[in-house]
Amino acid sequence: MRSVCKLLAGRVAISLLVLAGVSVLVFAIARIIPGDPARIALGPNATAEQVRKLREQLHLDEPVWIQYGFFVRDLAKGDLGVSLYTNRPVTTDIAQFLPATLELILVAGIFMIGIGLPLGILSARYRGRAVDHVIRIASLLGVSAPSFVWAVILMLLFAFFLPLFPIAGRISTDYEIARATGFLLVDSLLAANFAAFGNALWHIVLPAFALALSGIGQAARLTRANMIETYEKPFIEMARSYGFPEKRIARRYAFRPSLIPSLTILGLDFAAMLGNAFLVEAIFAWPGLSRYGVTVILRKDLNAIVGTVLIISAAFLIANLVVDLLIAFLNPRIRYGQESK
Amino acid sequence: MMTSILKASMAGMALAALATAASAGGTLRLDEVAVGGPDPAKAADYSDSSLIFNVYDTLILPRQGGPGHVPHLAESWEGEGTSFTFNLRPDVSFHSGNPLTADDVVFSFERTVGLGQGLSYLFGLVDSVEAIDADTVRFNLAQPNAPFVASLVRLPIVDKKLVMENLGDGEGDMKDWGQAFLSANGAGTGAYIVKSHNPQEETVMLRNDNYFLGVPEKAPDTVRLRYGLEAATVRTLIAQGEHDISSQWLPPEVKKALADDGMQLLTESGTGAFYFKMNTTRAPLDDVHCRMALSNVFDYGSVLKLIAITDTVSGGSPSTGAIPVGMFGANPADEVLVRDIEAAKAHLAACRYDPAEFTVEISWIAEVPLEERLALLMQANLAEIGVNSTIQKVPWALFTEMVSKPENTPNLSQIFVTAVTGDPDTLLYGMYHSTSAGTWQSPEYLNDAEVDSLLDAGRTGASESDRQEAYAALNARLMDLTASIYGFDRQSVFAASPRVSVPALSDPAMAFGLDGMGFAFRLMEIE
Repeated sequence: MRSVCKLLAGRVAISLLVLAGVSVLVFAIARIIPGDPARIALGPNATAEQVRKLREQLHLDEPVWIQYGFFVRDLAKGDLGVSLYTNRPVTTDIAQFLPATLELILVAGIFMIGIGLPLGILSARYRGRAVDHVIRIASLLGVSAPSFVWAVILMLLFAFFLPLFPIAGRISTDYEIARATGFLLVDSLLAANFAAFGNALWHIVLPAFALALSGIGQAARLTRANMIETYEKPFIEMARSYGFPEKRIARRYAFRPSLIPSLTILGLDFAAMLGNAFLVEAIFAWPGLSRYGVTVILRKDLNAIVGTVLIISAAFLIANLVVDLLIAFLNPRIRYGQESK
Repeated sequence: MMTSILKASMAGMALAALATAASAGGTLRLDEVAVGGPDPAKAADYSDSSLIFNVYDTLILPRQGGPGHVPHLAESWEGEGTSFTFNLRPDVSFHSGNPLTADDVVFSFERTVGLGQGLSYLFGLVDSVEAIDADTVRFNLAQPNAPFVASLVRLPIVDKKLVMENLGDGEGDMKDWGQAFLSANGAGTGAYIVKSHNPQEETVMLRNDNYFLGVPEKAPDTVRLRYGLEAATVRTLIAQGEHDISSQWLPPEVKKALADDGMQLLTESGTGAFYFKMNTTRAPLDDVHCRMALSNVFDYGSVLKLIAITDTVSGGSPSTGAIPVGMFGANPADEVLVRDIEAAKAHLAACRYDPAEFTVEISWIAEVPLEERLALLMQANLAEIGVNSTIQKVPWALFTEMVSKPENTPNLSQIFVTAVTGDPDTLLYGMYHSTSAGTWQSPEYLNDAEVDSLLDAGRTGASESDRQEAYAALNARLMDLTASIYGFDRQSVFAASPRVSVPALSDPAMAFGLDGMGFAFRLMEIE
């Protein structure tokens, strides 16, 4: 337990350092990319005087390091500034849009793990047989096209030609669910409105599946490769020689050690979905943070850009932290290695 | 428990699938680019203007089907020169129930100018606004300004009492001028009331049953203005009967496909044009003969084919000169510009630069894919007279910075410009007056005393005939100077479901002649 705490403390410290580095980098990049934020915010018809006033108000006429000083001072108070696009505090925007994206990627993550890992196990167990070939081809298809292509294909197949799923949005307009957590699936359950829960679930299936498809393929391929490698280890041969059933060997002896490298990659995939979700969100009109991130980048909304990137970076770091802890839990050598130091 | 939830969820999913197509009712669903917030003092582009025109009212409105303006919140007005007095209707209430008074007009003006955003620059010549009594308000101008009355279509009247009750943090008496409140709420008298606003998703508006002009029964009960939908999504939604009107930004191929599927195409025109703007400060286009060579070689006929959506509907109409057809000073609609290769060659021969020794840069705005095709057309046209050219893709944000210095401004910049009030002053002054040079509208860097003087004459003209005369002379002068190539007069095209009827976007006699106002939901009918 002490070793895990030590591992956690080390990782948290490193994560905070990374986050500070990201904030400096994003702050600088956002100001270097072409385009005057004040001009963009005020629109093409604004006069030079209007632009000058807004630049002054936003401290854009000060050197970058002084601007960063203002940013850090406000951040310490939990204030990320006001978005020039929505005219609201960036923290309000993030609080409104983040749950929609998190809900989407959590469901996509469930698809990724719930479908990808079993497919990989099946493929490894029936290596070289028809099932293996079918899964390998399907996995390859999954990883070879980006999520937004799958989004369009799935929309065409299952919303246009075969109208089984809705095209856009998080829930039908007939339902009004009081916002408690921002996660519609959770809020509808809290309101005991199961029809709304079903409706929200119905809306999330296609976008989450489109987002998860490449991850499913990746998970299946990695799990298969790792399990095949594990199957060749002497302890598997020993288990077989004891006469253990194949199911038990696959589940207890082959899968667990094979999971460690897959878990590392899946953890990264999971966090990367937060950034990659924007095209899927755009296609399914999903009002999430990734789409907001792209909108504010195009409008050079400095406060919102920095806020969004920091949140996505934090999510990335948290996902890595969780994966590190899971690996430490699964692999005693890492736990004990940490302790022996 | 889990089994019950699962069963209920599955039932919910099934019911939802069945209900989708039938749930439209009196709801109008349309899309636009994202609108940050419905604050009337910040509205400047097409999407937020069309939203504001429905939630707020203005003292006057553009006359439908013709030039001029008609009273709206004002019962009547009088004045000329530097003083204009408006008598307000006595029967108007805001959505909050507060009655409209002259104080609200004064407050709306002060808020617009105080925030200094959106189209506030239109009121730069207004010295003061005073409430004479509860129903009378007077605008005092610093100098005569003929476009002033037209600019009032861009002064939405805000509920002062409601805004003052909802001031947010800020400095001074007016704190934030109610910006935080108005970024998510409405405070107008309009035919529709903001129910909710999510800048990433949609604004939902409900019919205002207490609207002072009444809202016809067939007008939509609810309007859902959706934001940032992808072309593929809009195409699928309209085809499935889940969307009613597309934005004008839908690619022409998609609009054509929808028209082929039986959808109608709606149009709005008359306030803007497409230009190739020539940088008159850099070689070789600092020579008028070189500019005229380019203007004559451009294929005005082919560009119309490029922007055509169907055989009868197009993204523009033929240009007749520097001023779009329908505005003061425009040439007649049948005097269209045509290509003249021989004249182009003659002008090129008279140009002091050798075409073998220069290359013309043609820029196009990265966010407007159509402009790439137009750049390629221009490049092919130039090649026909032996002029080399390069094509530059420039993001909008970068373009606005590039054009701030003449040495960084491309030889040819492609731009769509629209008159924000429908008056030619708001189209031409910003493009061609020497004091306006160096903005996205004026990459020509034109500096001509006669043009300046004619623009000032158009701005201060005492009567419509004076203004007509000034703008006609300006049109001729601009054609002589050839600082721009006038590609076509712009027309916005929208794909719409047959279940909606939009006279202001389909019948020229009902059109407002102001971008975005055709989307007055109260004038629409929905099945």
